[in-house]
Amino acid sequence: MTRGARSDEGAEGARQRASARGAADRVAVPPEPHETEPAESTMRWFPPRSEGANVLGIETSCDETAAAVVGNGTDVLSSVVSSQVDLHARFGGVVPEIASRAHVDLIGPVVADALGEAGVELPELTAVAACHGPGLAGALLVGVSAAKALALVADLPYVGVNHLEAHCYAAWLEEPDLTPPLAVLVASGGHTLVVVMEDHGKYRVVGQTVDDAAGEAFDKVARHLGLGYPGGPLIDALARDGEPDAIAFPRAMPGEPDFSFSGLKTAVVQHIRKHPDGNVADVAASFQAAVVDQLVDKLVRAADEAGASTLVLGGGVAANSRLRARVEEVAAATGRRAFLPPRDLCTDNAAMIAAAAWWRLQADGPTPLDAGVAPSLSL
Amino acid sequence: MLVLAMDTATPQVAVAIGDSGAVRGEVRVVGGRRHAEQLAPAIQYVCAQTGVRLDQLAAIAVGVGPGLFTGLRVGVTTAKVMAQALRIPVVTVPTLDLVAYPLRHTRRMVVAVIDARRKEVFHARYRSVPGGLQREGEYAVGPVGDLIADLEAGGEEVLLAGDGVARYRSKLADLERAEEAGPAFDMPSVGALIELATARAEREEFTTPWEVHPLYLRESDAELHWATPR
Ligand SMILES: [Zn+2]
Repeated sequence: MTRGARSDEGAEGARQRASARGAADRVAVPPEPHETEPAESTMRWFPPRSEGANVLGIETSCDETAAAVVGNGTDVLSSVVSSQVDLHARFGGVVPEIASRAHVDLIGPVVADALGEAGVELPELTAVAACHGPGLAGALLVGVSAAKALALVADLPYVGVNHLEAHCYAAWLEEPDLTPPLAVLVASGGHTLVVVMEDHGKYRVVGQTVDDAAGEAFDKVARHLGLGYPGGPLIDALARDGEPDAIAFPRAMPGEPDFSFSGLKTAVVQHIRKHPDGNVADVAASFQAAVVDQLVDKLVRAADEAGASTLVLGGGVAANSRLRARVEEVAAATGRRAFLPPRDLCTDNAAMIAAAAWWRLQADGPTPLDAGVAPSLSL
Repeated sequence: MLVLAMDTATPQVAVAIGDSGAVRGEVRVVGGRRHAEQLAPAIQYVCAQTGVRLDQLAAIAVGVGPGLFTGLRVGVTTAKVMAQALRIPVVTVPTLDLVAYPLRHTRRMVVAVIDARRKEVFHARYRSVPGGLQREGEYAVGPVGDLIADLEAGGEEVLLAGDGVARYRSKLADLERAEEAGPAFDMPSVGALIELATARAEREEFTTPWEVHPLYLRESDAELHWATPR
């Protein structure tokens, strides 16, 4: 079977043809009357104005297309996040090829909005940064290519940023006076780890998941409960009507620094099968409690070991209400400070990329333009 | 009129600076699949060696595929973001045209074939017309066997070019009235991109940066395999 461009109808195909029109039918012929309108009407250019040590950050490692301008590593002048969650919802998870395609379409407008909201023109920036890993290879390539393109045009340094380091720096955006050492829990659909941040740029990964990420466990259990995607907020909401100790789900790997969620997920699935008419809210609440207990346990362990007096949360799972409450409680009980960035700084965003880039630039200088992406980068 | 051209839709990374349609400098690297690593330094080098500053450009030209999805996105993203920042328009040219155009002086039908992986090829057919080539039919993707059967049924003399030809040489050898253009025509020509794009830029056949989309021709795997909701 041969599939031509014509047969791939739908918005995407139509749009592709529209953009290739004029370029389409004749490869090269003598000039003729215009078939296409000269382009200017829909174009939005970067707006004028402003000063300061401002870094533009770009984040495209998963399913959020984001750009932000941050001054001096702490001052959020703008933070634009375009979520693709609706594009992936029917697949029950992030589809890499769909994410990569969406990033290509969204990157221009998102960058322009970030500069526009900040009131900063490209030449006034100090550097352009992009997340270069870890993440989906095809998705990372879009952000990195965009950042390098801007760096070329404005003759600015390019900085490639580690996504996990950036999650740690999200805390500084709210609280510029934080002092290391910090114990940071980064938990999302893509990663789950506890990091001790000894100083700027100095990290120790104390524990990480040996199987699923915490956010993945939420998604899978939500699917088995018939709740939908993404699972985190849905389970969080449902759990409010349930008893967290109704069902004794296992707390994996007690006393060890690493995380595991696949056993818990299996236990939940088996429970649902055995009790098809059971109380769904109790399942959600008990599952959530088991996840949160594990997360908090490892975070506190790491803080004890490192002598860290501040606990920090990052990643999408940090938006979970039980997790936030438990970390506050534990911090209060052990005389520590809990630092819980607001939801929009916990989930993937570009302000954290720009903040981390600011420190990286001072420590290491620019990243060479011939650097690529690192999909499995670790801290 | 100064134009910066780039195409990264195949294993080749190609960049050129053109002045009124003539190539002033060109960098081409084939293989390695290091598009994201090579493209920006190649642009920097070709600008430095031709003495052209980016703010002197009138337009940016980009090959929009079809081709390798990841490579393609590096070129398209770079071109559209640079154009947006420089406030200049983009000229888009399908990569298959860039394979066919250097063969515009033959009387035979030209068939451009780009390897699409998964035992498929992207392809399009062209015929010589005064001053260039005219495409016949659509840009298409499909199994190489289907293309061969179609060409056989057509019974016409054809000239084959593109990396899909090299990849499926043994299969294409069965075609009686076909000839392979040879290794010099395996990769899309960025010189052709300069020539074609400059002519279009002079006619103001522009695309705004945000309206530049890769020509994928193929849905993502998830969408292909998506039959009924779970
Ligand atoms: Zn993240």
